[in-house]
Amino acid sequence: MNNTENRRDRLLKKTIEKVLAEEKELLSWLKSRSDYQAELDYFLDITAARGTAEIEARVGRPVLNLLCNQVPLELIAAAGYQPVKVASGSLAEASFAAYSWPALMCPVIKGVLTKLEIDKAALKAPWVIPTTCDWVVKFWEARKMVDPSPGEVKFLELPHFRQETESQSKWLSEVIKLKEWLETVSRQKIARKDLLEAESALARVFVAVTQLKKARQEGRLSLIWFLLVIGSLFYDLPDQWAQKVTELINKLPQTATTGPKVFLAGSPIFYPNYKLPILIEEAHLRVVADDLCSSERIFPPVGPLEDTSIHGLLASMAGRYHQGSLCPTFGDNERRVNNILGQRNEAGLVGVIFVVLKGCHPYDLESSTIEMTLKNQGLRFLRLETDYALEDRQNLLTRLEAFRHSLSGD
Amino acid sequence: MRIIRLKNIVQWLSFAILMYGGRVGIHLGSALPCFACPFVPGCGGFCYLMGLQGYIGFGLFAGLAAGKEILVALGWFVVFVALVALLGKVWCGWICPFGLIQDWLSWLRNLVGIRERHLTPTVKKGLGSIKYLCLGMIVVLPPLITAKILPPDLYLPFCSICPGKLILPLFAGETKYLAINLDNEVTLWVSVALVMATGSSMVGAFFKDRLFCLFCPLLALIHFLRPLTALRLVKEPSFCVGCGACRRNCQMDVAKIDQDIAQVQTIECVDCLRCAEACPSSGALSLKFFGLTIYSSSRWDTKGLSL
Repeated sequence: MNNTENRRDRLLKKTIEKVLAEEKELLSWLKSRSDYQAELDYFLDITAARGTAEIEARVGRPVLNLLCNQVPLELIAAAGYQPVKVASGSLAEASFAAYSWPALMCPVIKGVLTKLEIDKAALKAPWVIPTTCDWVVKFWEARKMVDPSPGEVKFLELPHFRQETESQSKWLSEVIKLKEWLETVSRQKIARKDLLEAESALARVFVAVTQLKKARQEGRLSLIWFLLVIGSLFYDLPDQWAQKVTELINKLPQTATTGPKVFLAGSPIFYPNYKLPILIEEAHLRVVADDLCSSERIFPPVGPLEDTSIHGLLASMAGRYHQGSLCPTFGDNERRVNNILGQRNEAGLVGVIFVVLKGCHPYDLESSTIEMTLKNQGLRFLRLETDYALEDRQNLLTRLEAFRHSLSGD
Repeated sequence: MRIIRLKNIVQWLSFAILMYGGRVGIHLGSALPCFACPFVPGCGGFCYLMGLQGYIGFGLFAGLAAGKEILVALGWFVVFVALVALLGKVWCGWICPFGLIQDWLSWLRNLVGIRERHLTPTVKKGLGSIKYLCLGMIVVLPPLITAKILPPDLYLPFCSICPGKLILPLFAGETKYLAINLDNEVTLWVSVALVMATGSSMVGAFFKDRLFCLFCPLLALIHFLRPLTALRLVKEPSFCVGCGACRRNCQMDVAKIDQDIAQVQTIECVDCLRCAEACPSSGALSLKFFGLTIYSSSRWDTKGLSL
């Protein structure tokens, strides 16, 4: 028993070294890029220092961890917490999890389970988990293996039919219960003023995200930097982050990159796993829009607030994070494809790259229906299945280059 | 500029013209497709419903004899149809003074932080049918009054119980419609009905955006003329992701608007464009004039946000 524990500890120690090396390598590569700007340092720094204790010290409020993007961020912020979407794109973290968990398992969840062994403070923070895919639903059970003393957790029972009125009502009651739970764990009442302030802060972040999207569509910001900047949102105070984004946008070059314009869809891409974005760039394809839940869909679009009572604000939140979510775990997600079609003319899209992480079954299944619809609409479609391992790089690059040729006709 | 702010400016301007225009020599005629109340001293135009009741009641009888009256009635009807054809439901959402008063009540509710109440589809359908009753009243009762089957004190039957008649004159300092008319039994009950209809409409509009519009016979009349209207709210279903932002922001709770269909301008829609402003999908919802896009939803539009 001791031998096994020692071996595991040694492996974990090695994993920590590998994670650091992995990130160090990526960071130095990012800084050596020709489109690197000094304004990006801020986002690189906060991404590098994203441990729970470091975030809490930076933002001056306790961290609340969450999975997926159905958790209303403004409600968490109104309760005085820093919402942190926990995810991992680390190959080393995912590989370590293979020691205890099934091989064909979502690499994001595998990585998160290892991350919790490294960042012990994350275990002690409260968690909010919406019941999206199977991996997320079973996550808490698996997490208990890492630390058997359960911390505070709130599951949000996600109704899987977002267009049904009954589902919408049920989700609203879940959001109301979340508010009550947050008031209990934070020992403070969430007032209307707190909600309105949090809504406004998120609206300012949304304006900054919109600027980022525009810059990327215009070819002034690459997908890699876009992913890095938007992914750092959770490690900073909203207003500070929005301010830094505006400063970055103002410094971006006016010249646009070239290449066939494509849409990126499918499984999320998390730092530091930028294998695919790097390959897409190497293949001279230009991602002008995406619907990844780690990127453009990191939180649903913010809209005008018409009913500003507490109930009205909660109802608006509930609707945005449920009906406004394009998560593939929904059973009535056919209209998700309209997001791509709607941007075809506006952004001049010629093709779609659909990423499926091995073990990510909802996206895997949805890729077939989306492929069929998009091809019928005359858009080229490339489905790439991969994981965090680097062995398939050349194979993926070849397929991406062939896709580029098919798009540009050369 | 935020579309809702633009709408507010238009509403205030319309309010000023329709309520006080007559004092500076502005009168837009007797066929306006909105609650421009003729009982407001010095108003700038008359609601068509008053004229319609008058023409149906007296035009049919007195006018048939005179001949000329029929031509006048037809003339105003043509003007009414032309105005509806030009602006459609914009009359309700952007111009109607009584609509603006309801919007003030919604604003007040928001200010004090009271939640808006939403009607269930069944209740909404039930209440919505009241507008057809009102329309029926406008068509059926005036000839019966002219024929002396009903008492003459029911003259202009819809106006007698229209909340606009009680509320709008107050803005011109006219308070007499607040009083219960004790002239006879009919006037007593009519004035009680007016106070009750007004009170319940105002309380209802405080808790539910534009509640009275659900009952408004003018809204129904404008909707009947929809095939002729040049200004239309149009949905492109192939751009809609079904996020529901349109429905959540709809004052009239139009249930159809977030569905996978093109025809979303239902009878309740007042063309306020809140849906289009809230929609995060470019081109999914548009306001078109003779097929030409005047305003369209955009994923880049962040003007409506509470920053």
